[in-house]
Amino acid sequence: MRHPSTQRGGYSESIRLREDGGALEKRMQNRPSGFGNPWLQLALSVACVLVSEFLLKRGATEVADTGSAWSWTGLNGLASPLVWWAILLIIASFVSWLYVLRYIPITIAFPLSRVVDILVPLGCWIFLGELISPLRWCGIALVVIGLALVAKPIAQFEERL
Amino acid sequence: MTFLAFFFIVVSLLSFVAAQLILKRAMEATTTTGFRNAQFVSRVTGGILLMTISFFLTLGLLQRFDLSYLYPFQGLSVIFITLIAAIVLKEKLNTRLAIGALLISVGIVLVSLS
Repeated sequence: MRHPSTQRGGYSESIRLREDGGALEKRMQNRPSGFGNPWLQLALSVACVLVSEFLLKRGATEVADTGSAWSWTGLNGLASPLVWWAILLIIASFVSWLYVLRYIPITIAFPLSRVVDILVPLGCWIFLGELISPLRWCGIALVVIGLALVAKPIAQFEERL
Repeated sequence: MTFLAFFFIVVSLLSFVAAQLILKRAMEATTTTGFRNAQFVSRVTGGILLMTISFFLTLGLLQRFDLSYLYPFQGLSVIFITLIAAIVLKEKLNTRLAIGALLISVGIVLVSLS
């Protein structure tokens, strides 16, 4: 018997992700598992961006030559192997992101991907000993609350699967 | 900030947003039509082209302004993508999602300002 709270397509209207008759939900239901899981790929994409940011910063500093006019283009950074590793990670992150877009609504995936904006300062605080100002802590708290709000409907949806 | 700088910031932001939406549409279509078709190739090419334009405009702006000055504009991409995806891609946008996106944008602005 159909649950009274469910609508056409078997999903409650409150957790419907798109007004397309449930096509998106069906695609998500039939999503690949294991390494092909889009949520794992989203996490991998974020992790690749995060690591690439640190590699870029370290690589660029390693070969910095601020006296040269060409240094504005950032091209001299290519002399560092760390920058090349960062470029590889950025490409990997882009491929993962394209895969994520295949299954997850962009209204959910894109805000969630911005978790990287708080992971970078937190990483700098934990690993590089950089200080975080009170205003920045407030910003981090707002992003965390925002992420929780965005993730809630998708968590409900996942529970139904 | 001059009018020209503001213009390039807006163009950079809008090209990034448009690229994401085009790539989303391209990848979604692959579930029914696969990867080997002209529409997929043209959409992905268009998306990458727009991302490249946004990247180089940002690079040019970074040469004239501090990252902390420009980054808050990047934070606005969350709001823009969420709203435009709801309109163009018909993705469901409820109050919770809109508030969540707004908080993330404001949070990113605060993180980059401080």
